Amino acid sequence: MPDVMDKPVLELRGVRKSYREDDGAVLDVVQIGRFTVGAGEQVALVGESGSGKSTLLNLIAGILLPDSGEILLNGTDVTKLAEAARDRFRAANIGYVFQSFNLLQGFTALENVLLGQMFASHGSGAERATKLLETVGLGKRLHHKPRALSVGEQQRVAIARALVNEPSLVLADEPTGSLDAKNGGVVLQLLRKICAENEHTLLVVTHDPKVQEQFEKVIRLEELS
Amino acid sequence: MNLFKIVVKNMRQRALATWLTGTSVALGVALAVAILLIKQGVQQRFEQGTLGYEMVVGAKGSPLQLVLNTVYNLDISPGNISWRLFEQLRDDKRVKLAVPFSVGDNYHGFRIVGTTDSFFKEFEFEPGRKPELAEGRIFNFSEAALRSAFQEAEQRAKEREARERGEEVKPAAEPQPEPRQRPFEAVIGSTVALETGLKIGQTFIAAHGVQPSAEAKEHTENPWTVVGVLAPTHTACDRGIYINLDSFYHIEGHEIRGPTAPAKVEEKDNDPDPGQVSSVVLKLRSPIHAFPLYREINDRQDAMAAFPAAEIRKLFDIVGNIDRLLLAQAILILIVAGVAIAVSIYNSMSERRREIAILRALGARRTTIFSIVLLEAVTICLIGSAAGLVGGHLVVAASNGFLYKASGFVIPAFHIQALECYILAVAVVLGAFSGLGPALGAYRTDVARNLAPTS
Repeated sequence: MPDVMDKPVLELRGVRKSYREDDGAVLDVVQIGRFTVGAGEQVALVGESGSGKSTLLNLIAGILLPDSGEILLNGTDVTKLAEAARDRFRAANIGYVFQSFNLLQGFTALENVLLGQMFASHGSGAERATKLLETVGLGKRLHHKPRALSVGEQQRVAIARALVNEPSLVLADEPTGSLDAKNGGVVLQLLRKICAENEHTLLVVTHDPKVQEQFEKVIRLEELS
Repeated sequence: MNLFKIVVKNMRQRALATWLTGTSVALGVALAVAILLIKQGVQQRFEQGTLGYEMVVGAKGSPLQLVLNTVYNLDISPGNISWRLFEQLRDDKRVKLAVPFSVGDNYHGFRIVGTTDSFFKEFEFEPGRKPELAEGRIFNFSEAALRSAFQEAEQRAKEREARERGEEVKPAAEPQPEPRQRPFEAVIGSTVALETGLKIGQTFIAAHGVQPSAEAKEHTENPWTVVGVLAPTHTACDRGIYINLDSFYHIEGHEIRGPTAPAKVEEKDNDPDPGQVSSVVLKLRSPIHAFPLYREINDRQDAMAAFPAAEIRKLFDIVGNIDRLLLAQAILILIVAGVAIAVSIYNSMSERRREIAILRALGARRTTIFSIVLLEAVTICLIGSAAGLVGGHLVVAASNGFLYKASGFVIPAFHIQALECYILAVAVVLGAFSGLGPALGAYRTDVARNLAPTS
C-alpha cells in the first residue's frame, strides 16, 4: 500500500459545514478534525443515512464550501479557489460517481462520457471515451441512450464518465445504492479494478455493509470529528 | 462535444415545445417580411409606373382617381374633357407630347383604352422605353377618321335625346370610314394575351363599363380584331387593350354629351368642340413648365391637372398607416413568441435543474450553463426567424398570382433585402431577452440539492 502520511492526495483539516434550519437552529452536518487519503488508496467512508456523507463529498468536490477548514487536493486548497477555478479544478482532478447515475437522458453513452471531458482543459478525445466504455463492457452500446441501457449498464457509463479525465481522486456516492446485489457487486468490482489499474484514489461513501466488506480501509464518519 | 451540441440535444429532447415556439417566431417573422416585401414592392412598382406620366389632365374631381384611372387602369374615370383642350395642350409650346385616352369598355375585365398612334410612336412609359410590339402591328389611326367618329357620336347623342323627348328620329346616313382605315383594331397588352388567349387576327366583343359585370351590355355589333400584341412592360400597359380612338366613338353608347359636349358640331366657323376624351397624359419640354401649366389647368372650370408621382406618394402615405398597423401586429406576434419561448424553457426548468447540476458537477461553470440556456433561446429564435424569412418570401411568391391578376405586376419575391438582416438581428435580441430569465434561473441552480437522488 502507498504511504498515506507521506503523500496524501486528499487532506481535510478542521472542516465544518452547518445548515440553518427553518426554526433558526443551526444543524452541524459535517465536522471533521483531520482526514487524509493517500495516493492510489481505496477508502470506504461509512455512515448512517443523513450523517452528511454526500455533503462531505460535495465539499471535497468543491460543489459546496465549508463554513471553516481546509480541503487540500494534491496540495491545492479547494476552499481558497474562486468558483470558476473550483469548477475547472473539479473537472480536471475529480471524477464523481452518483447513486442515481445522473446521466443526461438525451445523450448516448459515448456522449455522456464525452461530456465528462468537455469541461476539463486536457480533454483526451473520443478515443479514450470509447476505450473506457469498452473496458466497462459497453463497447457495443456506445450509441445507446440511457433509457435503452439497464441500470447496471447506466452505472458503468457513469464510471467511464468519472474516469475519462484520468482524475487523481474518484468520489463515489453510494455507487451500488440503485442496483441489485448482483449488479452492485459487479459494478463495485469494476470501479475498484479500474481505479487500481490506473492508480486513481477512490473514496466511496456507503451505508451498505456488503460494500464496506470489500474495502481494506473503512472509516466511520463519526470517528473523524 | 461542445456547447452548441448540448443546445441542439436540449432542443431535440423537447422537440414539441421547440417546434411550437419556433413556429410562432416563424409566423411573426413571415408576416413582417411579407408585409414589408409587398409594401415595398407595390410602392416601387406604383412609383415606377408613374415615371412616364409627368402630368395627367382630366375632368374635375379626385386627382387620385384620375391618376389611378389613367396610369394604372384602375378605378373609374372622373369624367371627360374636351377634345379642344387636348388640342390646346398638344399645341402648347411647353408640351413635348400629349396623348389622349378614352375609357369606357372592358373585355373580360381588361380595360379597353381608346388612344392615338402617338401612344406607341412617341409615348415612353419609362424614360427611354416605349411600348414595343411582341408581334403584329399597331392599329391604323387618322385624325380625319377620328373627326368623323366624333360627328357620328354627336349625331347618335342628338338622336337619343330626341327619342327621350318623344320626337320622331330620322336615321342619319351611316358615316363611312376612310378607305384605308380599318377602324375596329386592337393592340393588346402581354397580360391580356396571356390570360385571354387572344392572338393576332382573332376578334373579341367588348362589354360596356370598365369593370366586368354580368348585366353589362356587349357591343356585339362591333367586334375588334387583334392586330398587335405588346411585349411585357411590367406596368399597367400589360393589362390594357388599346384601340384607335375613332373606333371608340363608333360604338353605341359612347355618345358625346355633358357639359363639355359640343353644342353644335356644324358650327365649324366658331371653332366648336368636336369631341371628348377621358384624360390626357402630358410630357413637358422642361420641368420648369410643370407648376405654371398645372396652375393654369387647375384654374379652369372644366379640367384638372395632377402629378401622378405626387398622388401616388400621397396614397402611400395613407396606406402606410395600415402597413404600420400590420407591422405592429407582426411585432406583437414576435413578442408573444418570445414570451412563449421563455415560458417553455421555464416550464422545462424543473427537469433541467438536475441536468444543470450534473453538468456543474462535471465541471461546467455557471456562465457556461447560463450560455447554454441563452443560446437555446437564441437558436430557437434564429431558426424560427430563418424559417419565417423563407416563409415570408414564399407567401409573397404565392400571392403574386393574385397581385398579378389585380394589378398586372408581380413583386420580386426572392429579392433579399437589407432589412431582413435587421429582422434576424431583432430575432437574436428577442431570443436573448426571452432566454435571459430562464438562463439566470439556470445560473442560480443549487447543484448539491439537485444532485441528490430522487425517489
